[in-house]
Amino acid sequence: MIHIKIDGKELEVPEGTTVLNAARQAGVDIPTLCDHPALEPYGGCRLCLVEVEGARTLQPACTMPAGNNMVVHTATEKVKSARKFVLSMIFSERNHFCMYCQVSGGDCELQNAAYGEDMTHWPIQPNWQPYEVDASHPYFVMDHNRCILCRRCVRACAELSGNFTLGMEERGAKTILVADLGIPLGDSSCISCGSCIQVCPTGALIDRWSAYLGKDKDTQSTQTVCIGCSVGCGIEVLSRNNNLVRVEGNWDAEVNGGVLCEVGRFLPMVEERDRVVTPMVRKDGKLKAATWEEALNTIAEKYQPLIGHANNGVAAMVSTRLPAEVLYTFKQVFADNFGSNMVTSTDEEKFATLNSVKSEVGVYEGKLTDLEEADAVMTVGIDLTKDHQVAGFFIKRAIPNGTKVIPVNYEANGMDAFTPYATKINKNADLAFVKTLSANLNNEEAAELQNKAGLETAEIDKISSILKSAEKSVLVYGADFTQPEETFRALVKLAKETNSKLVGITGKANSTAAAQYHLDKPFVMNGHQSAMIVLGDEEPTQTMIKKVENSPFLVVLSSYHSALTAKADVVLPVTTWLEQDGHYVNLDGKIQEAHKSLQSPIDVKSNLDVLELLAAKLNLELSAESLVAAEKAV
Amino acid sequence: MSKPKVASDWLAGCAGCHMSLLDIDERILQVLELADLRATPITDLKHPDEDGVDVGILEGGINNTANEAVAKQMRSRCKYLVALGDCAVFGGVPAMRNFFTIEETLRRAYVETESTDDSGKIPDDPELCKPTNVRAVSEVVKVDLHVPGCPPDADVIFHVLAELAQGRIPEIKDEKLHWH
Ligand code: SF4
Ligand code: SF4
Ligand code: SF4
Ligand code: SF4
Ligand code: FES
Repeated sequence: MIHIKIDGKELEVPEGTTVLNAARQAGVDIPTLCDHPALEPYGGCRLCLVEVEGARTLQPACTMPAGNNMVVHTATEKVKSARKFVLSMIFSERNHFCMYCQVSGGDCELQNAAYGEDMTHWPIQPNWQPYEVDASHPYFVMDHNRCILCRRCVRACAELSGNFTLGMEERGAKTILVADLGIPLGDSSCISCGSCIQVCPTGALIDRWSAYLGKDKDTQSTQTVCIGCSVGCGIEVLSRNNNLVRVEGNWDAEVNGGVLCEVGRFLPMVEERDRVVTPMVRKDGKLKAATWEEALNTIAEKYQPLIGHANNGVAAMVSTRLPAEVLYTFKQVFADNFGSNMVTSTDEEKFATLNSVKSEVGVYEGKLTDLEEADAVMTVGIDLTKDHQVAGFFIKRAIPNGTKVIPVNYEANGMDAFTPYATKINKNADLAFVKTLSANLNNEEAAELQNKAGLETAEIDKISSILKSAEKSVLVYGADFTQPEETFRALVKLAKETNSKLVGITGKANSTAAAQYHLDKPFVMNGHQSAMIVLGDEEPTQTMIKKVENSPFLVVLSSYHSALTAKADVVLPVTTWLEQDGHYVNLDGKIQEAHKSLQSPIDVKSNLDVLELLAAKLNLELSAESLVAAEKAV
Repeated sequence: MSKPKVASDWLAGCAGCHMSLLDIDERILQVLELADLRATPITDLKHPDEDGVDVGILEGGINNTANEAVAKQMRSRCKYLVALGDCAVFGGVPAMRNFFTIEETLRRAYVETESTDDSGKIPDDPELCKPTNVRAVSEVVKVDLHVPGCPPDADVIFHVLAELAQGRIPEIKDEKLHWH
């Protein structure tokens, strides 16, 4: 431990702690700009200068390691005047017009730092040279006039998202933030994760909505989870007067540590589907607005005689974007009470089949956290730059530290550009590939398989030597296989042979819970008299619509109008993910609670309430404490 | 002790800061009790007293030679000069034109605007003052107190006036410090 004294407060900190972090522990406030807790210390802005006894000059607290018996002063006249000088220089570098800046008045760290030093004005005038405003990106704007060159965005893009889009060009006064080699952000390699805007301390990088919808201090914040996929990233939903203002990554969330992908951060902002705002019942061939009573009675009338029909009754499907409570109640109603043999979820068949063999992985089962510690990662049957992207960030951002990443695909994989080990196999040859690799590791002859996989011996050799020499290797698989079960078994074997962890990155937000409730068989109508689709806010796929469109009586619970609701006999308006509470089980089996952050429109009910109302109408037995039961079950 | 004399004027601003001053509502009576309001854009006197005032207040930046003259006169006739509002503090909204040449700005204003017909022409009467870049008041004369804000809040203005009228230097910090 290191003993340090800061502004008269003495404390012990572990070796390697920076003076800044030690000061934070001591409750001493040192202003910073380029520093960000989620990023590596950088030491560029010099706002954090402190006086260290014995040192000739002021020292940056954010990069300086605490030394034993160090005595630090953070509020001397010398320090204060240095801060004012640093701030004056920063302001004069570019052009700040606070009175019409969107982050002014609370959300700008530069302005707040100046307030902190009681600055009533800038001793040095602005630059008055116009800088470019890059508004080419669909989700955010880069105003170079307000950029303070702190490089937080550059570091976030690299250290958090592993995308390396942003960088600095030129030097000195000409230094400028660039995307790729200086092209507009909208045309660049940017993947719209938004990490950069979440860390930008000023109004230089601002998203297109929140800046005009309300400052942080005017908004309500709800901590909840993203249900864009099964990674289950922790988010903070900012709203004002029941309007969505912004989605931010929750820095304290265990799963993602503040990072989000486009799906989590920006897609909710561009939701344009039409809301279903009232129950609708088909009359004379047309869907007409109805009361809840009417709509529920219509369903009850049809459904009463179907109770107890295993075949010939109600085929029911529930969205895996819905909370565990809904899945569980759904199962109670249609499997336990109706006794239907077709009670399942919206998950793709392939993922469902994979679930049935998943238990065979045993001790080789890995978790998302294994990705960060791995020194070699091979991905099969998945492009982690397309979905489950945050898991992809974990892999990409480890590459500069020496992690060898081997994306195996038959077509282009977004990961290819980041690694020299991209491997292209023949289409539908994942199984052959995995088996070839196993054979190679065991020095077995596998020419035919290798041929089928479409790889040269040298390529196979290289991959097996990477996996063999790695100390912590991880095999990642998706669901994009033609023979999921066999491929999965081959992967388990390969994991054993290479002593690797096996991490499955598949499914939607609550696929794991749905599988645990056995809501995972392929959906077929098979003579059932009605299809009941509890869709929530999920967008129906063409395949789904095809399967149910000819059902004699189609009931859809949906937040949005779609091609499916258009075909329904009864449509019931339900809450979206932002409007309901409940539990989710992510791909690691971690149970997380989602919290309601917005009020639903007046005539809209939660998915759970609707199922319970329906059960009551039909006098069905639901376990009294279905929520507790659901939690226990997952 | 006689009441301290206060004079004010506006330069390249929008009059918003003086409007904000009027926003102190009935508290203006308190100010009048404490101070002797002399030349201001809202009173009849047009120049600060030749024998001087205690406090001079300037709204707006300096964007031509006439502004320069007003600022210099105010400075020479007041003991304590206040730059009121963002325009006076650093140039403010009018300073946006600093990104263009004066020639470009004049052409845009007098010739190219959508509402100007063919007869539009840049005024060139030698009697007219000369436009310059927009500058902070402090770039032309010494300023004793900067009161930022666009416009500064009525409460802040009242605080400043009340303090000055009672012979104290106002502290502008925390809740009273706004640049927006
Ligand atoms: S980024 Fe901050 S300092 Fe710059 S104009 Fe905006 S509020 Fe003012
Ligand atoms: S949005 Fe993400 S990928 Fe794009 S520049 Fe910002 S950090 Fe980089
Ligand atoms: S854009 Fe923002 S985060 Fe990036 S260097 Fe400029 S001020 Fe810093
Ligand atoms: S990775 Fe999945 S859970 Fe995380 S932000 Fe993206 S969509 Fe949401
Ligand atoms: S915060 Fe330490 S140098 Fe920027």
